[in-house]
Formats: sequence, structure tokens, C-alpha cells
Amino acid sequence: MARARKKAAGRSGDGARGKAGREDEDDSGRSRALLRARRVGLAIVLLAFVSGLWVAGWLLELDRTVVSRFEGRRFSVPSRVYAAPMVIYPGVDWQRLDLGGWLARMGYREQQEAGPLVVGHYRWLPGRLRVHLRGFDHPQLPEPDRKVEFRLEQGRVREMRDDRGEPIAVVALEPEPISSFYGTSREQRDLVKIENVPAHLISAIYAIEDRRFEEHHGVDPRRIVGAMLANLRAGRIRQGGSTLTQQLVKNFFLTPERTLRRKLTEAVMALVVEARYAKPQILEAYLNEIYMGRRGSTAIHGVGEASRFFFGKRVPDLALDESALLAAVIQSPNRVSPHRHPERARSRRNLVLELMEEQGRVPSLEASRAREREINLAAVALESGQDRYFLDELARQLPEVYDEELLSVEGLRIYSTLDTMIQHAAVRALHDGLEALEARLGPPPARSGEDPDEPPARLQGCLLAMRPQTGEILAMVGGRDYATSQWNRCTLARRQVGSVFKPVVYAAALSPQSGPLLTLASSVEDSPLLVETHDGPWEPVNYDKKFRGTVLVRDALERSLNVPAARIGQQVGIGKVVEMARRLGVQSRLPAVPSLALGTAEVSPLEIVTVYSTFANGGLRPTPRSFIGLLDERGVGQEHWPLAGARRVLDPGTAYLTTSLLEGVVDRGTGAGIRARGLRGPIAGKTGTTDDEYDLWFVGYTPEIAAVVWVGYDEPQPIGVPSSRGALPIWVDFLSEVTGERVRGAFAQPPGIERVEIDPRSGARALSGCPERRVEFFLTGTAPEATCPRDARRRRGFFDRLFGS
Amino acid sequence: MRDSLRALIRLTIALLAAICLSGCLGLDFSRSRRSGDRQLTVSAAIGQIDATRDASLRLVIAGLDEDTAGRPARALANYQRAVRVDATNPFAFLALARHHLEGASVEEASAFLDQARSLFENDDLHGRAVDVWGVGLRAGIDRELGRDAEADQRFDAARRLLPEIWGDERLSSAELR
Repeated sequence: MARARKKAAGRSGDGARGKAGREDEDDSGRSRALLRARRVGLAIVLLAFVSGLWVAGWLLELDRTVVSRFEGRRFSVPSRVYAAPMVIYPGVDWQRLDLGGWLARMGYREQQEAGPLVVGHYRWLPGRLRVHLRGFDHPQLPEPDRKVEFRLEQGRVREMRDDRGEPIAVVALEPEPISSFYGTSREQRDLVKIENVPAHLISAIYAIEDRRFEEHHGVDPRRIVGAMLANLRAGRIRQGGSTLTQQLVKNFFLTPERTLRRKLTEAVMALVVEARYAKPQILEAYLNEIYMGRRGSTAIHGVGEASRFFFGKRVPDLALDESALLAAVIQSPNRVSPHRHPERARSRRNLVLELMEEQGRVPSLEASRAREREINLAAVALESGQDRYFLDELARQLPEVYDEELLSVEGLRIYSTLDTMIQHAAVRALHDGLEALEARLGPPPARSGEDPDEPPARLQGCLLAMRPQTGEILAMVGGRDYATSQWNRCTLARRQVGSVFKPVVYAAALSPQSGPLLTLASSVEDSPLLVETHDGPWEPVNYDKKFRGTVLVRDALERSLNVPAARIGQQVGIGKVVEMARRLGVQSRLPAVPSLALGTAEVSPLEIVTVYSTFANGGLRPTPRSFIGLLDERGVGQEHWPLAGARRVLDPGTAYLTTSLLEGVVDRGTGAGIRARGLRGPIAGKTGTTDDEYDLWFVGYTPEIAAVVWVGYDEPQPIGVPSSRGALPIWVDFLSEVTGERVRGAFAQPPGIERVEIDPRSGARALSGCPERRVEFFLTGTAPEATCPRDARRRRGFFDRLFGS
Repeated sequence: MRDSLRALIRLTIALLAAICLSGCLGLDFSRSRRSGDRQLTVSAAIGQIDATRDASLRLVIAGLDEDTAGRPARALANYQRAVRVDATNPFAFLALARHHLEGASVEEASAFLDQARSLFENDDLHGRAVDVWGVGLRAGIDRELGRDAEADQRFDAARRLLPEIWGDERLSSAELR
């Protein structure tokens, strides 16, 4: 009923309210639209606000990123390791030192043009070499740059003069960089300061990369439009519109992907960078960051490193054409690499010079002269991977604060004891020796349980050279190939030492502390020996399984007889042998068992070379060292380890007697291969071959250098030759390259040693009638008093005595 | 014949008388040996072994000059470089021993002196330098270590050899040069 009334009322009011209703509807439509508009407006405002907030946040984030990078450490600069400086003086054999090779490796270039010699250049004249040496920093003694004329005669430096013609006594050459402590990125850079960058390098980069750099605010719309038109005409992307700031931002903060989002971020960040920092700061960052190509597996960043790599120069010394070439390379370092594509590089360099001329950045005459110049690159010296064994050892010696991460970013300059000439000889000798040995022996037989598809095991080796007086490590090659195995066999491997341990036993017996028990002329039995041990009876045998009866101590060591060595070990006591080994520098575990006398202990080559260095150094034990000092990236000294004196651990007399024994090994014994190769002068050494020829050793020394060679498989297995045919040839190759055929110096004969003629058969003092005689050395008061047997003397007839036999 | 014999006897008597007289007057014939000892300086050792030794000796001299000029760090660097050139040069270690003794690094001075002694033992030309310089330096080390009795004894021995050097119980870089 009520519903019917409402309906009727509605019908009756329709006419009256028609217009008004329409008006109302219009009003409400308008208000709804208004409301909608308001809502949309509000939404837009809100959206704009939120977007603004988001953009502001984004900008703040970008700003924060930019600031944190610019204000903090901008670049990771790997710490570089240097060898010891090479020293040149009148009389030195410059060919053996490989002075020419040094010039090439250090990036020195021959100067063809007349006129004053430019730093980093040299000039050959008949019988003369003129070099403008670069100055260098060093924790011990920095050197300024200077011009030196080397006057050469018959392979030697006859004299040296400076540019005023004054004679020079000694010249230290810039230490060679060996390698760097790269992080995972393997980037190398040499930072430059903007004030040291020549104006023509900056002009060249502006000309080709960003001619309006000084004017724009990070983004250059004219350049973008120009690039777009050029790309449209070409139908592909040919030209970029990025400014230097954008390139810097891309390299510093972003990935190389080509997306709109990345480009937008790049542009905004470029604006932020420009708003925050002055142009010179931005340019300096760019010059240090820009990618400039590769040297082997290392990426070169920045014009400093590129200048060193391409021209062997520091940035301030660059010539106009060289600056233009650096600028030319930036766009595409691999495609325009002057090493691989010299013509392409030259053409782009000339384009840079033309642009510089067009833009009025360089006078026409200079540009045209620069265009005519050939590209003259420094020789590329790739790092030898083999040097990294030394680097690893060096890192172990550094104070703990210099950890791996710090070394890879701090740009430290670390100075070492490595001698590049000796290191090169070591690398070559070990490589060639192992190749030759493998070629002779063929692949080793497969071991039981070994996968037949696996490649056969390869012989490994180590060569380590030390200076006996100082313990400086001069060369270290810890394996055959660092790329495949980083295990340093010189320092980390512990292998059975075999007969190279015997001199320790002999030294213990010859030392006055033991009595002395023996002299070099004492007799010792080479006959079957049985020693009861905790593990049952032990019966040593000689290498050839023969016994020789009574032999003299000298002969026993020269022939490396096992049984006499075992007997001497028993006589002196294994405890005393262990004590002697410890004093001489062995730190590894030494089981106090009778077989220790024959070298059953496992010891590292570094320890063994320290032992022999102590003999070479008259009983003074050096402390091995490979680190000299380091400078920070500003060249300020942070660490310096001065030379430390060696410590007396063995009396000089015993050290001399041991050296004399080991000279005998080289002159007549198992090391005679050294003399057969024509090496003359004072050389002492000892072969060592372990059971079944698992490990081959040769350790030897001269008065100036001690070196050890070890050869074997990482998983021990028979090699098939004794050390005289495996390790010794490598040692000889190495030493002859380092010293030449004539070894310098003499082994010091200390006071308290007397020379007495003995009968080599009986070891008794020789009288005039003795049929044979040889000089032997004794600690004073220990020479034999007995004379050679009367019957031996009688046997010689009148004419024998008269003319000798 | 008899006259000649007489002349020979007279000459001998005159010679003996002269020696006695000189002894009474206090003349010391051992001075010639001392002046020889003074020649055992680093400079005097140049030109006697080979080019390598000479280069090393020149670096030692450069180091001694730096020490004299009061630049011990540069002096040390030169000595170390001298060892690098020729590690068998005993004078380089002697200079290092002297340098460290001046700096009161007694342990290092002693070790370098041991090294110098070991190398001088092989040096026929300069072996006496062990006594001439080494005894006094060892005495200085004893003094630093408070072993005065040994120091006095050794300084006495050093003074007998070179009184003008060891009178002040100190070997200066200029004196060794």
C-alpha cells in the first residue's frame, strides 16, 4: 500500500520536477565529474608526490653511491713486487747480466733521432751504449734519473761516464717489477695526478672523446643528437653520445649492458657527479679508470699503466704522438690495439691528431709532424707465471697485517731479494731439464688403480738459490708450471732427502764437540752392518749392493756409501745428528732412528739449502729472507727489514772440512759430472737419490751462491735414473748460466786447519817413500801421527822414487 | 881474504850497534808494520782482487762517507748494496759491524763482525784487518755488553797495533775509509 502511494506521488510530480530534476542531474554529474577530477588530481598529486619521493630517494641513493666512491678509495691498485736492483760497474759482463734484455723488459726504447737523450731511451753507438735511466724509489736507496754512457769492450763494461763526462763507479738500475698481488679482477693500474698529465694528452682525449667536456654538465645534448643522427644514417649503432663523465660513471658504477634504464641512470649519475665535483677531479678519475687493453691475463686500466705498457714511460714524459695514440685506443682497446693492429692504431691516432688540429688544440705543424711518426712501442714483457712461487713465499714472509685483500688494493710497492738474471736462469734450467729428462725416460708406468684415461703424471721439480752470507733468496721456482699447480715444492713440500743429508752426519762426527770422532783420513768399515731397532733389525746396503771393506772417510762420502755413513751415524749417536741438523737449519720432524743417517727424514728444499749455505758460509747460518721493504702508494716507506747477520752454529774448522769433503764429491765423486761439463773453480756439492729413485736431489754451492735442485713426482714413484743424471744436470745448467765456466772466489780456510800429506790407502801420514800421497785437511792437532806402513814404502824401487809413478 | 872478513865483521858490529842505539832512543822498528796496518783501509783494498770487489768497496766507501756526514740510513743502504754486489767482501761486513756498533745494535754488530772475520780468513792480502780492526770492534762490543775486563784487554791489544786509532776506543767511519 505504501509502495503504491509512493509510486503515485512520483508519477504526479514528474512534470513539475522534470526540468529541475535534469538540472539536479547535471549538477550532480558535474559534481561527480569534479569529484572524479579532484580524485584524479589528488591521485596525480599523490602519485607525483610519491614519484617525487621515489625520485628524490633514488637521487639521494645515487648521490650517496657517487660520494662514497669518490670520497673513499676510488681505485683498487694491486701491490707490485720488484726484484732487487741490478748493479752495473766497470768490469762487469754486461752480456751475462743481459743488459739489453733489461732495457727491453723495462720498456726502454731506442732513440733514433739526434738530440738530447730522452728519459727512458737509449742509443747504441760503436762500442758505447748511452742510456737516460729513469729515477726510482727504493726502501734502501732511491736513485734520481740520470744519463749514463757505458763504454763496452769484449762483452764487458770498460767504464761508465755521466753526461758531463765524469767517471761513475757504480750504477744501480731500476728494479724490475716481477708481478703483482692482483685481486679477483686482475686489474693493473698506475695512478696519475691530474697536475702531472701533459696538456696534449688531455687535449687528445677531449678531441676524440668529448670536445665540450669543459662546457657541459655531465650530459651533452648536442652530442647525443649528433650521435643519433649518425646512427640513423648508418642504420646501426656506430657512435655513442656519452661524455667523459658518463663513461666514467659507467665504468665506476654500472654494468656495460645497453638498456634504456642503464642509460638513464648513467645520465642522472653523470649530472650528480658534475654537480658534486670539479672538472679536474672528474677528469683525473677518468684518466685512472679507463680500460686500455690487456697484457696477458691482466687488464690495464688508466693512462698511467697504459703509458708504461705501450711506451715504457711515465705519463709526464709522453710525446704528442704517444698521447694521441693513447686517446685513440680508448674507444676500442682491443680493436685498435697498437700491438695487434698497428695500422688501425696508426690511422686512428692520426684521426685524433687531425681533430686536435681542427679544434685548434695543437698547431698544424706539430700535428703534421706527429702524424708522420711511426708507432714505436716498448717491448711487451709478459709476467712469468713461474715467478709467482716466489711471490707466494714473499706474501708468507710479510707481516700479518698485509693480508691478501690489502695487498690487492693498496697499491704498495714491495721490494724483494729476487735476482732477475738468476731467476731467469733457474726457470730455464728447470724447465729444459725436466723436459729433457721426460723425453729420455718416456711416460712413467701407470700406477695400480689409476684411471688409464688420465694423462700420465708429469715430473715435477724445484730450484732454489740462496746467497750463503745473507740468506737472500735469489731465485725460486717451486714447480713446473704455476698455472697448473701452485704448490711450492721449494718451501712447502717435505720429501725424503737421501744422501744430501749425509754431510750433516759427517759434520757431527768431525766437529770438536764430538771429540772429534773422525778426521777426513779416518778409516771406516764398509761391510755388512746390522742395527737392532724398535722396528726390528736394520741392515743398510750401498746403492750398488757391494761392500768395499775399509775405506777412508773422504772416499766414503765422495762415493756416497751408505754403510759407512750409517756406521758413522751410530758412532756419533743419532741424537747428536739430530742436534747438528737443527743447528744447521732443519726444522722439519727428524725421527731419531738409525736410518736418519741415510736421509730417511722428510725435509724441504729450503731447509736443505740453508744447511748447505751454512757450510758455504764457514759455519755461520743465514736466515732465509725474500723481503727487503715496502713503500706505500705515495712512495713513503712503511716497512724495511735491514740485512741481518748470520749466526755462528758450527765451528769454522768443521765447516771447512765439510766443504772440503763436498769439493771432493764434485772433483772425483758422484758429482763429477759438474767438472765434466767444464765448470772450474771452487764448487762443492752432494747428490741424493732416495730408495727406488723416488726423489732426486743435488745441492751445491760456490763461495757466492748455494742452490738446490729437487726432481720427483708429486705422488712418489720411481723415476728411473739416479740424481747424477736427473737433478745434477739441471744444477749444472743453472750454475753455468749464472757464473760462466769459471766460478769466482775461494772457500775460506780458517785458522786451526792444517794441511798434511797422507797415504790415501791407509790414511796415515805420508813419508817420502810412500807410493801415493795426497794433501788432506785436519783440525790442528788431529792429523795422524802414524806414518804409512813400512812395507808400502819399501815396495817402491829406486827408479819409481826417482821418477815418480 | 882476511881483510874482507874483517870488513864484514866490522859491518855486522856497526849494524848491531845501530840497532841497539835506536832501541835505547826509543825508536820502534815495528812501526813499519803499523803503518802497513794503517793501509788496511777500505780505500787501500781497491784494485787488489777484481772488478766486482772494487765496485763493492766503492759502495762501502760511499756508505762510510754517508756515515761521516751523519746520514746513517743512506750509509746502511750503501753497505747493503755493497754486500749485494759482492757478498764475499769482508770490508762490507766490517763496515756494517762498525755501523751497528755506533748505533748500539750490539747483536747485529757481533754477527757482522763474525761474518767479516770468516771472510778475512780467506784473504791473504787483508787478513790482518781481522786483528787491526776486528779486535777493537770486538772490544767495543764487549764494552757495550758490560764485559769491561774483556773490553780493556782487547782495547789494549788494539791500541798496541794502532794507538792513534784506538786511543778513543772508537773506530770512526773516516778512519776505516
